[in-house]
Amino acid sequence: MQTLLLVYLVSAFLPFIFAGKLKKAIPFFLAFVHFGAFAYFFSKIERIGNGDILRETIPWVPQLGINFDLVLNGLSIAFALLITGTGVLVFLYAHAYMKSYKNLGVFYFYLFLFSAAMLGLVLSGNLIQLFVFWELTSYLSFLLISFFHEKESARNAAFQSLYLTGFGGLVMVAGIILLGSVVGSYSVSDWVVNAEILRAHQFYLPGLMLIFVGVFTKSAQFPFHFWLPGAMQAPTPVSSYLHSATMVKAGIFMLALLSPILGGTSAWTYTLTLTGAITMFMGAYFAITQTDIKAILAYTTISSLGVLVLLLGIDTALSVKAAMLFLFVHAFYKAALFMIAGFIDKKTGTRDWRNLGGLARSMPITFVFAVLASLSMAGLPPMLGFLGKELIYEAKVQSPVIAPYVLVLGVAGNALMIAVALFFLFKVFLGKAKNQVQIKVKTDWAYIIGPGILALLSLFFGLFPAFLGETIVEPALISILKRDYNVELKLWHGFNTVFFLSLFTVFLGFILFYVAYTRDSVLVKWRAFNQRIFSVRFVDVFNNLLKGFLSFSKRKTELVQHGYHRFYILTIFLVASIFLWYQVYVTIGWNLDNVFTLRPFYVSGLVLVIIISTIFSMVSKSRIATIITMGVAGYGIALLFMYYSAIDLAITQIIVETLILVMFVLILQRLPLFARLSSKTTRLRDLFIALSFGSAMTVLALKSINVNFNHPISDFMIENSYTKAYGQNVVNVILVDFRALDTLGEVTVLVVAALGVFVLLKTKKT
Amino acid sequence: MEIVLAILIGVLYTAGVYMLLRRSILKFIIGIIFLSNATNLLVFISSGIIAGQPAFVDGTTPSPNNLSDPLPQALVLTAIVIGFGIVVFTLALKFKFFETTGTDDLDQLQQTDN
Amino acid sequence: MNAIALPIFIPFILIFVMVAVRNSRAAQLISVLGSTLLFVVSLYLFISLKDTKILTLNMGSWEAPFGISLVLDYFSGLMLVTASLIVLCLSVYTIYFMDDEHRNNMFYVFFFSLTMGVNGAFLTGDAFNLYVWFEVILISSFVLITLGNSKQQLEGGIKYLALNLIGSMFFLAGLGLLYGKTGTLNMAHLAHILRASEQPVLINTSAALFFMAFGIKAALFPLFFWLPASYHTANISVTSIFAGLLTKVGVYVLIRFFTLFFVQDQVFWLNLFLIIAGFTMVVGGMAASSHYDTRRILSYHIISQIGYMIMGLGIYTPLAIAGAIFFTIHNMIAKTNIFLVSGMINRSKGSFYLKDIGGLFKQSPILAILFILPAFALAGVPPLSGFFAKFILIKAGIEAGQYLIVAVAIATAMLTLYSMIKIWNEAFLKKAPESSEVEPYFKKPGFPELLPSVILGAASLLMGLFAATVFGYTMVAAEQLLVPTHYIESVLNGLNP
Repeated sequence: MQTLLLVYLVSAFLPFIFAGKLKKAIPFFLAFVHFGAFAYFFSKIERIGNGDILRETIPWVPQLGINFDLVLNGLSIAFALLITGTGVLVFLYAHAYMKSYKNLGVFYFYLFLFSAAMLGLVLSGNLIQLFVFWELTSYLSFLLISFFHEKESARNAAFQSLYLTGFGGLVMVAGIILLGSVVGSYSVSDWVVNAEILRAHQFYLPGLMLIFVGVFTKSAQFPFHFWLPGAMQAPTPVSSYLHSATMVKAGIFMLALLSPILGGTSAWTYTLTLTGAITMFMGAYFAITQTDIKAILAYTTISSLGVLVLLLGIDTALSVKAAMLFLFVHAFYKAALFMIAGFIDKKTGTRDWRNLGGLARSMPITFVFAVLASLSMAGLPPMLGFLGKELIYEAKVQSPVIAPYVLVLGVAGNALMIAVALFFLFKVFLGKAKNQVQIKVKTDWAYIIGPGILALLSLFFGLFPAFLGETIVEPALISILKRDYNVELKLWHGFNTVFFLSLFTVFLGFILFYVAYTRDSVLVKWRAFNQRIFSVRFVDVFNNLLKGFLSFSKRKTELVQHGYHRFYILTIFLVASIFLWYQVYVTIGWNLDNVFTLRPFYVSGLVLVIIISTIFSMVSKSRIATIITMGVAGYGIALLFMYYSAIDLAITQIIVETLILVMFVLILQRLPLFARLSSKTTRLRDLFIALSFGSAMTVLALKSINVNFNHPISDFMIENSYTKAYGQNVVNVILVDFRALDTLGEVTVLVVAALGVFVLLKTKKT
Repeated sequence: MEIVLAILIGVLYTAGVYMLLRRSILKFIIGIIFLSNATNLLVFISSGIIAGQPAFVDGTTPSPNNLSDPLPQALVLTAIVIGFGIVVFTLALKFKFFETTGTDDLDQLQQTDN
Repeated sequence: MNAIALPIFIPFILIFVMVAVRNSRAAQLISVLGSTLLFVVSLYLFISLKDTKILTLNMGSWEAPFGISLVLDYFSGLMLVTASLIVLCLSVYTIYFMDDEHRNNMFYVFFFSLTMGVNGAFLTGDAFNLYVWFEVILISSFVLITLGNSKQQLEGGIKYLALNLIGSMFFLAGLGLLYGKTGTLNMAHLAHILRASEQPVLINTSAALFFMAFGIKAALFPLFFWLPASYHTANISVTSIFAGLLTKVGVYVLIRFFTLFFVQDQVFWLNLFLIIAGFTMVVGGMAASSHYDTRRILSYHIISQIGYMIMGLGIYTPLAIAGAIFFTIHNMIAKTNIFLVSGMINRSKGSFYLKDIGGLFKQSPILAILFILPAFALAGVPPLSGFFAKFILIKAGIEAGQYLIVAVAIATAMLTLYSMIKIWNEAFLKKAPESSEVEPYFKKPGFPELLPSVILGAASLLMGLFAATVFGYTMVAAEQLLVPTHYIESVLNGLNP
């Protein structure tokens, strides 16, 4: 399997290598790769059916529990067949559909890389690895939706889908890590073994909910569903592949994968059935009022995803069986319908059914396929869709506790689906030909082979469901339920509750259709009604939230980064003062040994002089006075150094002070006078902050004199200065020998400063 | 005496911070100089000070306890020199800034934010 | 192991060579050769860590703690290698992207003095020596940020200078107090004393000063003001250097100090780190998302990412520290790279302002790929480096029960994603606006111009694919940091002063 993924990865880069005439062959070649993979998985069906599990492990970051763990069991093979099988058809279709666009290399690269990521996702046996592929599919979906990137709507839709699914992904990974910390592993098999512990742990509920957020965003569940209709901005092959057959099913896969581990609790059941039921009904409800046929399909996809979530939520053997079957049912008819919709778009230049009609005459073969697919969607016999719907009803009827509510919504949803399917057929293909543009598109076989095969499969499996049931659904079911289960599918179930429910649904659906079809005004009113009732559109909510957040950020940023330099400094010293005083308070325990004394008086006098000149320098209005008093303070400090045995220091201080004074005086003439710019309150406030900081530093200075943990290392220097370093002045010896590296750095600073001043003053104004 | 010196340090810091908070760049630089003097003094006294016993040794076994600690002196010396380099650059920058913009007011510096 | 000093001395020599060399071609060549040598030496040093795990060198052969020791452990080794890689890439990049009037040899003087300071800060085992290196970094960055002398640069330079000077002052004052209390400057010796002391809490005031100092350097909330005010004014090569190296030195020292010897009163400090980390992430991320100038977006984004590193420090488990180190390395590479790419965007379009540019996807697909790599790495897209960086931190946070900071980290990741997608949508996907009159410097960058970005992009990818190796190193580094007995013994060499 790793070889297979590697082949996929390498093949993805082929579109860039193929040049010239070979370019046309790219989709065929990629379809061929898909076909090879399909054949590979197909050949494994028997082994998997016998209960074998193929497993390959490559260590990635084993320390973190992240491995590349590829598992092929009943569940993953079902998805793998779906991905590779529809992959073949989608690439053939893309060959025709995408012909006229530019940048095809990039397109095929994205799309094929997506296939690889999707395949990797369903083969994952490690949840972090699964997340990696999960994210990759989100990002590739983003790139594909924004393929027509010069359209703003496409960019926005792409952003929205990425933002939601990316958010969901991150939340989900937090959930995985949370639950992983219980088990100490991210391997699915380890989770299965520890399922009991997981379900009983206090992290179960938060972890489950976090994972659900990921699943719901990815599989477009209410209230995250709204990105999916937006994603229809993508080229149609992408819509039919990512946004109906594969990527949106990733969440379903995740649920199926986790249901033996986390399922079976009331939290699982209620959350999923509720969300699924709402989504199912809402999708169908909004589908019927759409005018863009791709949007209709998008909403019905949302509805179908809701059905799948609902079924996995009910979590009985029967409902899981129904889910697995419906997975295929939906993939067959929906991908087919998307491709047909894309073909119609190409043929007529429009996707609005109000401008379409009577296409059956000009596109007879397509019409046949559309009929088959629509019947399957409506759940009418003898299509596979009928089987699926019957099973779903059966599962719902037998579902515990909430069955009645679910059933009501289910019947309503299905009736709407029937109406939508018939409406689509009648409006688009039958009736009078509207004056739509007839674009001369060479009826490429590639346009219809995909939908054709899928529609025929819907019919074939409807009539002969045994193969699908026994060889694909059954192993998948066994690997979800973790026990043996016998799947038998029949078209005819006899007269029972389910049959009458079906009959009732069909009846309701036909009435709905009839009303909508015969009276155009009904739909128009209905649409207006929806707009009034559901005045809050989720897309707008999302956009407004984002916009609001951005302007909020902007305001906050301007508040923080306001540009007033002084306030930056003020903030820093304020923080410092609070911080230091707090620490002084915490460490209050030290004793002050020193006695306050003013002896010797000449030192006290010196200190007084420094203090006075400092204060004078602070308040003086004259520049020259300020600078001179500053100098006096500096020289005074030099004298202090001198008195306290630091000869070298005193000399250095005097030299530096003198140089600085000279420089000040030199440039002073070219600078403006001091202006009193701040008000009195400002000055008082500044003084207060300055004082609180200064006093904190006084306390700290006293403290450090009195707290001593150790003899200073300078004892060693004094002892060894003469004997080992041959110098009498210990300070000098320290500078040039003990700590010569400091001096090296110091020299560097001086050199850089000198050169810096040189560069600064030499360069002309720009 | 340490207490007096500690108070001096406090005063120097107060003056430094107060000057930093003025709008004139010149005052700002003077503030920096005060701050660096205060810090140097802080480092200097923090390990204790001894008057009139510079750390000179001549081979006779010295007793470290009677000499002033030479290490902080060396550190402060390094710091003074480094501080000098930086103040010189700051002065040049200030000079250049005034030459380019004709203002000394720090509140005028608002173009690079937001 | 005298080679430990080489990462300091090679740039030191290069400074003087650059002052002497007149020909600018020769200077460029020497700088590339010199930084290649530096990279090789760093790599060699890192590899030679394998046997002893820690290498030390006592300068002037004065035994520790009396002289200055250089110490190379896995943490500093990783930082050193990453920094040298960035320096190497930038030495190539500057050949093409320095503005004409500054493409003189003087730039390289400051470039290498900055490198010297950064390497010195990573290598030194002495607290005061660290201060000296910080000053070297500071003065070099002052000069670099004002190179060009435009009004904006002078203005940004003054703000940058003022706030960083205050930071240095805090650093020096903290050092003085620390020496007053402990009588030593050697970091291992400090750890030895403070870990054995009975009343270590008395050291907290010095720790507070250090925290202020490095908080300013690392651009933490609420001390980061200098960064957004100045970074975008400098030449893009200079900003890239700063983005890759400067704040990370602050983070490096914070992690070093607060794992080695400021280990008292941890409840207070670690909670403080977590709170500050959260604010830093959110404020930086929000500010980034509200801007439209690529350089400003990316500058604010630096701040937001610093939050993640401090988050790792605040969680303080081996995994979290390893995560912080992993994140720092990843961020140095990806952040530098995305600045390099934004420089190329500017050259191709003549502007940094997103509303004025567009259509780059069509114009230069290669640039699109080069942008995608660091942008997706920063957004945390697997399998690039950023995914693992965030994954480790989130895992560490969840396992340590710090759910709040994990939630903040996830929210911030969404902000990052938004910022990156904004640049991608506006600069690459959108049609170029009609009105762009600015004459671009070139239509498509050539291979040598692209090379630095290619190298760094590949580094992000490889770091993700071979995350096990890198993570292994960061884990060793984290263990060395959290249990520093080996560090202390190696430096003090069994001496018990």
